[in-house]
Amino acid sequence: MSWSLNEIETLSRKAARGAGLSWGLAEEAGKAARWLTAAGLPGPQVLADLLTRNDGADYETLCPMEAEEDAWVAKGGTLCPLISGAVLCDNAQRLGAGELTLGRTAAPMLLLPYLDAAAQQCGTALTIRWNGTAITLGDSAQTSGQGLDAALAEGITITAGTSDQTGTALQKQTRGDMPAEVAKTLTAFAERTYAPETEASRLSGAGAGLTDND
Amino acid sequence: MEQTAGKPIPPRDPNHVMQLHRLGSFHQSRLSFMRILLRRLEGEGWTFDRPVFDINAKGVGRAVYSAHGPDRSYSLVAFANDLPPEKRSDRVIATEWDATFTLFDGVPTTEDLDRLADNVPKQEAGRVSEKELSLSRANRSVRLWDHVVDCLSKGQQPDRQKVADVGYLMRTTAVYGSGKFGAADREMTADRPEFLAPFQVEMLSVFLTRAFVMDLVEHMAKMRAPDTAVPLDPDLRRRFGIGNSTGLGMAPFLLNHPALLNNWIGAREEALSRIRSLETAHATEVETFRRFALRARLHAEEWTSEHPVQIEKLAALRKDMATLLAHLDSLDLTADMPWNRLWLWAEGALSVEGQELLASLLMEPYPHLVDGMATCMAADEPATWRINGAMPLEELRALVKDIYGWALDIDWTAREAQARVWYTSEAKLEPRLGERFEEDLDAYEQPLCPGRDAARMHADLQASNEATVAGFLMRHPEHRHVARRAQIAGRLPYAEIRDNTIDASVMPIDMLRLKLSFFGACHFDPRSDRWLRINMYQHAPFPHELGDRSGDDWAYPFLKEGVV
Repeated sequence: MSWSLNEIETLSRKAARGAGLSWGLAEEAGKAARWLTAAGLPGPQVLADLLTRNDGADYETLCPMEAEEDAWVAKGGTLCPLISGAVLCDNAQRLGAGELTLGRTAAPMLLLPYLDAAAQQCGTALTIRWNGTAITLGDSAQTSGQGLDAALAEGITITAGTSDQTGTALQKQTRGDMPAEVAKTLTAFAERTYAPETEASRLSGAGAGLTDND
Repeated sequence: MEQTAGKPIPPRDPNHVMQLHRLGSFHQSRLSFMRILLRRLEGEGWTFDRPVFDINAKGVGRAVYSAHGPDRSYSLVAFANDLPPEKRSDRVIATEWDATFTLFDGVPTTEDLDRLADNVPKQEAGRVSEKELSLSRANRSVRLWDHVVDCLSKGQQPDRQKVADVGYLMRTTAVYGSGKFGAADREMTADRPEFLAPFQVEMLSVFLTRAFVMDLVEHMAKMRAPDTAVPLDPDLRRRFGIGNSTGLGMAPFLLNHPALLNNWIGAREEALSRIRSLETAHATEVETFRRFALRARLHAEEWTSEHPVQIEKLAALRKDMATLLAHLDSLDLTADMPWNRLWLWAEGALSVEGQELLASLLMEPYPHLVDGMATCMAADEPATWRINGAMPLEELRALVKDIYGWALDIDWTAREAQARVWYTSEAKLEPRLGERFEEDLDAYEQPLCPGRDAARMHADLQASNEATVAGFLMRHPEHRHVARRAQIAGRLPYAEIRDNTIDASVMPIDMLRLKLSFFGACHFDPRSDRWLRINMYQHAPFPHELGDRSGDDWAYPFLKEGVV
């Protein structure tokens, strides 16, 4: 089924919130799924898989800490790309000035939208690499290598500047396709944000009052 | 000759403007989206036709209304239904309507129409595509519809008072745009000149909907009595607008689009400041203003509501109009910063309704100072959305004090201060407002209470030793949402509603009216504290009349012949 980018963003935002992320992080997760879809990448699929894996995990175990200078790892062992991505973006100036490594990270594809925003913010192209895959973000975004949809990656590096490998440019899309089971997973997470229907809320929550059939 | 030498008057302070009781007293103006649209349609000489009108005696069928501009065409596709009365509800939770619509990008083929016939009447339960730009529905005003069909079929015109009492034959109950239910994202059309200003897709859809509804009522009369039926008198016909029934869904929109809100209010405030800064006014400009004030008085007289709060506001507004018109007679408005003098007088002499109506009226004589601002009302939201992590924490502390100072003064442990909860219901995802201390809703709270959230962040900001926003948010992901808002409002002064949106006394209709006033709606009629009815395009020309009648000058009722 063809989805609008707006629908993908909205569903992804609600799903991320339903999976336990703060509203601010969930908003960025929604934008991330949208960005990936618009770049021709399977954003909602990767997000659905990540949320399923991290369901119930505590923020403290997923967020980055600086183990040594310019090397981030998660207390719990595996970094969440939605949290790390937001933190990377918040540190855009630092990324533009040097190199950073990330320890084991889930679904690294989800870092790309955040790094793209960071590249815009610091005004420099940024290149992220893992397991032979290299993606340059910024004005002339391109990818090379086969491991873009890795479920996990170790030893991720983020450097200022473009990749020296020849890559393919991202293909701009205006719509997204989402497999039915992915939509179902995201919808199930999103439903956690909806209040169960009660008679009282049905009557008063939207302001019954006067008749609306006249 | 206008002069803007002397000291220009700055735009009003956001702490003054962005309070709910004031925002909830806004009126349509030259910058309303309906007027922006009709000015363009008239100026560019758009043409209109009706390639399909296939509706039977029961009122069931389809119709297509096309609008042709310099580069592109758009078509309203309408499906008419024979709705059993027990199914008629304006709530989001309704599942059937008297008529359903979509705005099609181009002119649809029969295949397109067949596909849409399977989906548009189902609204949220159906699916549209990137060829469709909006999805909407409308219900009849039963009390007026039956009367009009009855009169016309007998060869008579309907009763003018009955028409005035209701003001429309159908009211829309939702007009979905931008990517909803599979429709095209706004980004796909936002760079077309005709859609640069906000909500032009939706306003075009409603403009064509009004034409369809009037054709339909005449058609139904004709089907009932082909030999005796007459069409509506053209002048009476223009007195019908399109109604709209609006609930809480509009309130989250304003809070979720701070940059857009800023640009709407900012354009209006800039217009007001330009006019207040004028050193002199020409006698013809003063006369134009006075004529519009007379028409606004007529509008205030025709505007009715059963809601106690609005009844009180209307009484004050009618008194304001009398006070204003009397004051005009005693005043020389040609020299000595006339409009600023009038404005300063109004701040002491008029109610908030009256003051904000005056802001709209002052724009009428000055299209060249105001209308160009329409292009500044859209927003490049991504440009201001990302958090600036490098900002020193001291700066965020200062922003919070400046933008949310009012919220830091509130005792948030008091039940009244956070008596309400914004949430989304399981049933058709209807936005609702609940009672925090009576219902178990905290877990489902939507982030629509920036004041409370900013106060919470403020407490943690005071305790934090971090140097930058990046470091602070790493430890406090729960403040990420409101930190973003504070930074946006730091750049865009009118981005934030500076009032408590979860207070026991909050009137959500203030937020709805704010948005609807920018659409260009009038006759705001609250039906509770959470939903209201309005009228759109009342007195406007129909598509076939544009050019012969002004696309700009219709938003206030016309004076009777001989009124000076």
